[in-house]
Amino acid sequence: MRHQTGLGPSPSRRRFVQASGLLGALALAGRSAPAPAEEGPSPAAAAVRGLPAGWRAMRKVDAHNHVFGLGQRPNSDWAEVERLIAAADKLGIARLYCSRPVTAGVLANIELVRESNNAVLAAMRRYPDRIGGYCFVQPGNGSAALEEIDRCVDAGMIGVKLYNQFKYSDPAVFPVAEKCIARRILFLGHSAFLTDPRALAAQPRTSHALDFGALSRRYPELMLILGHINGGGDWEWTIRALRDFPNVHLDTSGSVLEDDTIGRCVRELGHRRLLFATDSTMEGCVGKVLSADLTPEQREDIFWRNYQRLLDRRTA
Amino acid sequence: MIFDINAYVGHYPFRSLPARRAAEVVALMDRHGIDRALVSSLPAVFYRDTHRGNEELWSEVQPWADRLVPVATVNPKYAGWERDLATMTGPGKARAVTLLPEHHGYALDDEAGRAALARIAASGMPLLLTQRLEDRRQRHAWDRAEDLAIGPVVAAAKAFPALRFILSNWAGLDGATLTAAGLRGRVLIDFARLQVVYRGEVPKLIAALGVEAVAFGSHLPFDYAGGSLIKLENLDFLPPEDRERVAWRNAEKFLGLGR
Repeated sequence: MRHQTGLGPSPSRRRFVQASGLLGALALAGRSAPAPAEEGPSPAAAAVRGLPAGWRAMRKVDAHNHVFGLGQRPNSDWAEVERLIAAADKLGIARLYCSRPVTAGVLANIELVRESNNAVLAAMRRYPDRIGGYCFVQPGNGSAALEEIDRCVDAGMIGVKLYNQFKYSDPAVFPVAEKCIARRILFLGHSAFLTDPRALAAQPRTSHALDFGALSRRYPELMLILGHINGGGDWEWTIRALRDFPNVHLDTSGSVLEDDTIGRCVRELGHRRLLFATDSTMEGCVGKVLSADLTPEQREDIFWRNYQRLLDRRTA
Repeated sequence: MIFDINAYVGHYPFRSLPARRAAEVVALMDRHGIDRALVSSLPAVFYRDTHRGNEELWSEVQPWADRLVPVATVNPKYAGWERDLATMTGPGKARAVTLLPEHHGYALDDEAGRAALARIAASGMPLLLTQRLEDRRQRHAWDRAEDLAIGPVVAAAKAFPALRFILSNWAGLDGATLTAAGLRGRVLIDFARLQVVYRGEVPKLIAALGVEAVAFGSHLPFDYAGGSLIKLENLDFLPPEDRERVAWRNAEKFLGLGR
């Protein structure tokens, strides 16, 4: 059997080549760069068999991504964010909800937290139609963390993003959850069920599905999202654990692209709990939703409608 | 046409895969528009006697000779591996050899590893090295394998300048490092774990090593193939003939399957 791959140049070549840095890389390697093509819609001739027809045009909203590599100062380097937007263009992602957590196990002080959130706010101002924001807070900052949530939500953010500084079953997190309920915003949490001793030692307070479940039982009205089902960790364990906690949504992001994660989620949890996201693994995470055995309606719900339902609850 | 150089046949002990038998793998390929695949044996990774896994793979792929190209697995710690290797290579047999030092308990730069590298180099077959079968953060308690590091691969490339490499399911590859190791013109890298858009890893590798160094790979049936299909479609900054090389021509040429 021979399949037609439909290989052909894309009209958006110039923008992508510039964004990816390929022109410079080719020059350094002593090779001539490919000639830029004219701007315009992608030709059908470029389509690769094996992907659903019109996959780029399917509406997609990325519920979990990040803006890194920039500050909020006037001379900030926007290259990283421009690459993010260029990639979203290539993949048909209409909007990306981003945060900038302080990682590596740092119990960040409030000044560092504010600086991170200012970077997200700057990206939101630069790309108001494309980038939405989550407010990162470190629950150990107490009332200052809650004030930071108010500041960010007043500036247009739609949720909080917590990292691994505290388990979500820890009472230190409860005021953050209560603030989310009071402000009617989303709570997106870093997650993993880590089975590797070294990974667990490096992130001892990473929350797993049962931590989310405990928080959900305590606050059933909380719009709670378990971040990156495929972000590293035993995703099969996570799906099994989430069966008992119907109020917990989960996003599909992560660098692990294992078949049949999406199908298993749909069968065991129901597709309405799934939110499309990439967490920077952009092609792979679009691809796994396209490859999964879904009805068109299920795919559309996962790509954007389920997330929109959550956002709509903010104003209902 | 698409030729996938990162695919497997067989049962994996730590997770239920969506396809195990060759017929199931071919059905998965059909679903994703993949025409041919270079397939390695999963049982050969875990059997004490690796060669029994090779024999099972030969039998499995035989009805699918036009679709599945088998890889021979060698464990240089097991008795008789040199003779097994000699029986697996040659016209109509395996087109590549794979070593799994992390799973079979040796290193590329120890005595067993060096012996295997020398034999494979002498055979003229490309050596397939997989960085990981799955993410170690989700590992089963019995799964002790670490990700393969690039350092020993670079050392092997320098020590055996005639040896050709297929780097499968790798992330974090640096084109300058591979070029400095003399790998330009003798390496084929699949992009299952590399990005075309956003991080631009594939364009950077093409710039450093040439378009002949990159090939389609999906890590099927472990992973969904969709991401790799999107990457192929997003290589639209390349001339059509170069995209075709990435899609299948590079693989066929590197494996000596020319038409």
